[in-house]
Amino acid sequence: MKKVVLCLLTVLMLSSSAWAKKIVIAQDATWPPMEFMNENKEIVGFDSDYMKAAAKEAGYEVELRNVAWDGIFAGLDAGQYDAVCSSVTITDERKKAMDFSEPYFKVRQALVVPKESAAKTLEDMKGKTIGGQIGTTGYFVTKKVEGVNAKSYDEIGLAMEDLFNGRIDGVVCDDPVAAQYALQKAEYAAKLKIAAVLDTGDEYYGVAVKKGNKEVLDLINKGIAEVQSKGLDKEMRAKWMGQ
Amino acid sequence: MPDSDPIIRIENVSKHFGALKALNNVSLSIESGEKVVIIGPSGSGKSTLLRTINRLEEVDAGTIIVDGWDIRNAGNNINKIRMEVGMVFQSFNLFPHKTVLRNLTLAPTKLKGESRAEAESNAMRLLDKVGIRDKADVYPAKLSGGQQQRVAIARALAMSPKIMLFDEPTSALDPEMIGEVLDVMVKMAREGMTMVVVTHEMGFAREVADRVVFMDHGEILEVGTPAHFFEDPQHPRTKKFLSQIL
Amino acid sequence: MDDDRITIDVTDGAAIPRRKDAGLFSAWWIAFLGALLTLVSLLVFEPDPYLKILKFLPDGIVVTFQVTFASIGFALLLGLLTGIGRISKNRIVNAVASTYVEVVRGIPLLVQLFYIYYAMGRFVKVPDIVAAVIAMSFCYGAYMGEVFRAGIESIHKGQTEAARSLGFNPFQTMVHVILPQAWRTILPPVGNEFIALLKDTSLVSILAVADLLRRGREFASETFTYFETYTIIALVYLIITLILSKLVSKMEEKINYYA
Ligand SMILES: Nc1ncnc2c1ncn2[C@@H]1O[C@H](COP(=O)(O)OP(=O)(O)OP(=O)(O)O)[C@@H](O)[C@H]1O
Ligand SMILES: [Mg+2]
Repeated sequence: MKKVVLCLLTVLMLSSSAWAKKIVIAQDATWPPMEFMNENKEIVGFDSDYMKAAAKEAGYEVELRNVAWDGIFAGLDAGQYDAVCSSVTITDERKKAMDFSEPYFKVRQALVVPKESAAKTLEDMKGKTIGGQIGTTGYFVTKKVEGVNAKSYDEIGLAMEDLFNGRIDGVVCDDPVAAQYALQKAEYAAKLKIAAVLDTGDEYYGVAVKKGNKEVLDLINKGIAEVQSKGLDKEMRAKWMGQ
Repeated sequence: MPDSDPIIRIENVSKHFGALKALNNVSLSIESGEKVVIIGPSGSGKSTLLRTINRLEEVDAGTIIVDGWDIRNAGNNINKIRMEVGMVFQSFNLFPHKTVLRNLTLAPTKLKGESRAEAESNAMRLLDKVGIRDKADVYPAKLSGGQQQRVAIARALAMSPKIMLFDEPTSALDPEMIGEVLDVMVKMAREGMTMVVVTHEMGFAREVADRVVFMDHGEILEVGTPAHFFEDPQHPRTKKFLSQIL
Repeated sequence: MDDDRITIDVTDGAAIPRRKDAGLFSAWWIAFLGALLTLVSLLVFEPDPYLKILKFLPDGIVVTFQVTFASIGFALLLGLLTGIGRISKNRIVNAVASTYVEVVRGIPLLVQLFYIYYAMGRFVKVPDIVAAVIAMSFCYGAYMGEVFRAGIESIHKGQTEAARSLGFNPFQTMVHVILPQAWRTILPPVGNEFIALLKDTSLVSILAVADLLRRGREFASETFTYFETYTIIALVYLIITLILSKLVSKMEEKINYYA
């Protein structure tokens, strides 16, 4: 009897996954509040919720997979997962290597410094060392500034820790992330502040898929459109960023 | 020289290796210039006794005075005392990474502050004495056993010690090389060196020794002149030992 | 005198070619020429992106060497002290040295790096390269300690006794008699450790130290040329370690002069 039930269950599961397309999405869960690990070892955050909601609206399944940032696009190219939704800013450089969904979120770069620092712009940081996560737009804008020593980290949290410990003079990253570290984490908040949201222009997050993967891209775009038209993204913003 | 203090005074010395009693309440005094030969069966404690004299072996109890210094007193610099006491080992123990000449000059230059030239001329004189002047610049590995042991003797002499200790200096040698080493030792004895020699060479003992010491089971059983020893031994175990090796 | 040379293999360094093993000797040439040829042809026939990648790396290579040389220097010093400590009759010294070796050998290098860099970062402020060097030396000091210990123990006890009986103190004995001989036994594994250390310095890139690997990763993450970049990085590491293993084997030949 038990065996029959088990068999039925298996068939049911197989068939359900057969008709609901499953999309595996890579996220680097070190980027709070956009995507990070909670105590239950689940990937949570704004992006994660967004992808789940989009899937629900467009009628497909998602599986979130935690992948280290450095190499996340290499994995996409190698077909290890279908998409990357991990606070990826749409840039011309990236567009050459992969396809992007419609933009789903707007950020700017923010500079985090110790409380006692008087710096207001990247120019004020001449002769200083600024950390950023390797391969992120925050690191790229820092590297462009003449006279600033840009230092790349595997994770933004490690850069923040070094800033906290006084090894570097500032960190540049997406403003929601900067806020998370400099304002939300009590230990850091006591010592760090956001010096400025930089005038390096607006950036838009998109979901990246392998070049030419139209099937997945269409599904995701459909989901994003639904989420936006229903205003679900505003709820998520309130939930994760309190604004 | 009965009126002067002995140059080595060993009193009631005991030494254990774990449960094994290697030296059992041993006493022995040696006068300056005296030649003492220690004999006895294997494992009887001869080497151990010899090595306590320059503290290569620490003892558990007793007193050892060398040239007026209590070597068990931590306040006395054992390294200074050792410069007075040359030692020759069964296995030569030359420094293989140094030439023969450098084997002789290393200690005098590093420890006595002798200049290289001074040490070298002294070394050449000693090499001459032991008959291997021509090997000054080769490495020890190139020498025969007899030659190596003669270098080892010269190396010890280079520190101008007052006492020379020998631990079976010829036991590792091929028979035809024993003579050349003993010759050097006899010459040294004639020059008045204080010598303590552990050996199985009874001919040497007979010819050179002022006194012969017989040890067994960590104890000194009999001490006497060679004449006494070889003609009229008293202790039964001495007799047995001599009958075995002679 | 006695030719019982002991060879010690402690970790994976690299195969150091010796005259005797002909197979390894030619393997070295095949690997070296192969790597060099591959590198040169990539640069010549596809300068974009390969030449661009290579041009991005030099300061990283310099950092890799800086960390390697500084670490090996301190590790040798630490290893010597540890090795002597491990054979010391002084209980406390012996316990300290042995505990150090046990602890270090029980913790993965990567964890040590993180620990020293981030955990210590809260108490002592040191620049990243210094932290990397401290961590690497700390770890390799323990391995070197074992190498030194084995090397010193490979020298016959009679050498110490001869030196001590001449009046050398323990330190002088070590400097003038033991180490100059132990060096023969110690050099091959030290050379090995040196090369292993050079490779392990790639781990310091997690400390955001801009070494060869991190420079490569920075380039790749911006241009998405992962395959090409890691090809170059692998070739550069290979060529460096091959050259070093050759130098070590040359040095070994030299040091055997008096045997
Ligand atoms: N380092 C040591 N550890 C343990 N036991 C030792 C040690 N050195 C010597 N012994 C033991 O102490 C005893 C005396 O040794 P010793 O070397 O003094 O004898 P010996 O008379 O010189 O003998 P041989 O003629 O064989 O050289 C022997 O039983 C020996 O095994
Ligand atoms: Mg003996």
